[in-house]
Amino acid sequence: MSNGVVIFAHNNGDIDYASLSLIAAKLAKTHLNVPVSVITDKETFSSVDQKEFQNVFDKIIFTPPSTTNNTRNLYDGVESKKVKFLNDLRPSVWDLTPYDRTLLIDCDYLIMSNTLSNYWDNENELLISGKYNDITGDERVGYHDRYVSDTGVKLYWATTVMFTKNERTKLFFDLVEHIRNNYNDYGDLFRFSTKQYRNDISFSIAKHILDGYISADVDLPPVLSTIDKDMLHSVDNGKLTFLLTPQSNQNYVFASVTDLDVHVMNKKSILRNAKELV
Amino acid sequence: MDDVLKKALDFSNYRKTFAIQHKILKEKADSRLTYGFNGGIFKIDRTLITFVQMLEDKGRISGVVLLDVNDTPIMIADLLSFKEDIFDRYFNTTYEYYEEYEKMKKNRNVESLIK
Repeated sequence: MSNGVVIFAHNNGDIDYASLSLIAAKLAKTHLNVPVSVITDKETFSSVDQKEFQNVFDKIIFTPPSTTNNTRNLYDGVESKKVKFLNDLRPSVWDLTPYDRTLLIDCDYLIMSNTLSNYWDNENELLISGKYNDITGDERVGYHDRYVSDTGVKLYWATTVMFTKNERTKLFFDLVEHIRNNYNDYGDLFRFSTKQYRNDISFSIAKHILDGYISADVDLPPVLSTIDKDMLHSVDNGKLTFLLTPQSNQNYVFASVTDLDVHVMNKKSILRNAKELV
Repeated sequence: MDDVLKKALDFSNYRKTFAIQHKILKEKADSRLTYGFNGGIFKIDRTLITFVQMLEDKGRISGVVLLDVNDTPIMIADLLSFKEDIFDRYFNTTYEYYEEYEKMKKNRNVESLIK
């Protein structure tokens, strides 16, 4: 049985997702010791050092470019900008992955430990992280970081998803796609905001339905996260130093992290530290 | 008064940084104490260690079924080898946690805390 990591990388004109995917891939290869493949589009691929891409990635898989109009406000510390959010192709991972057991990660998820290696042989064929774990503690964690809406179901974090390729997980990803295609209807049903398409919500609802409308607490580890108002300040020999704003928009405090997987939502700050990270 | 207030704010900043660094250390220890075995996931803690030691003391060292963190029954064919793995990992991890925490306690300002 083959194990491997898959990362989506589609540049959106503002964020260099291709470079982010290279960083995430190099770290994943180092710490998990498995091959990493990228799913990208021709335009993104034309913007990169193709030799380096070919060296780092096990397979480069092409899809047509995303056609979504999805947008979001992305912060880089105190500055923010409305950017395209090209996240609609995730359900295609089942068809495109070259591996029997796949770990799908966001390209801003920096794997700095081998913790996820514990799950390759896990008997559960679909595992998603079931909890957002803010680096500063619980003060910044809101209800909608834990549930899809005020009255909705548990929110899973599609930042890390591990699955075995079989008919049952195919059903899951088909259902995610169906929810994406009928997002407004599901928004009415599960009472979540449809202003912005979120994979976390589609994955959560698909999981809820396929678990038989009950909570099944078999998850990947919580996603240790820094928000985009935080900044990755510097990287030194595997030590990541962050500037965090514990009450959001208030004074910054420092924190340093080593040997822990961390979701760094401030993508530009990852790119500023690209050389030191890898 | 300004000086008093500055000192209070500095100390508050130090305490916040200390709390976050402590949380990060605990996360690191938790992550290392997660142990995948034979398709199951175990959290290596005092309860697991004590139970495994009790099984060994009772002579039940092969073909033992343990419930993992999700209450899934997992077959442990060789309990002694399993015990050795979890003991090693537990003592290495907690010792490292202790060392890093002691180092952190000695640092009385933000700058040295994150060094």
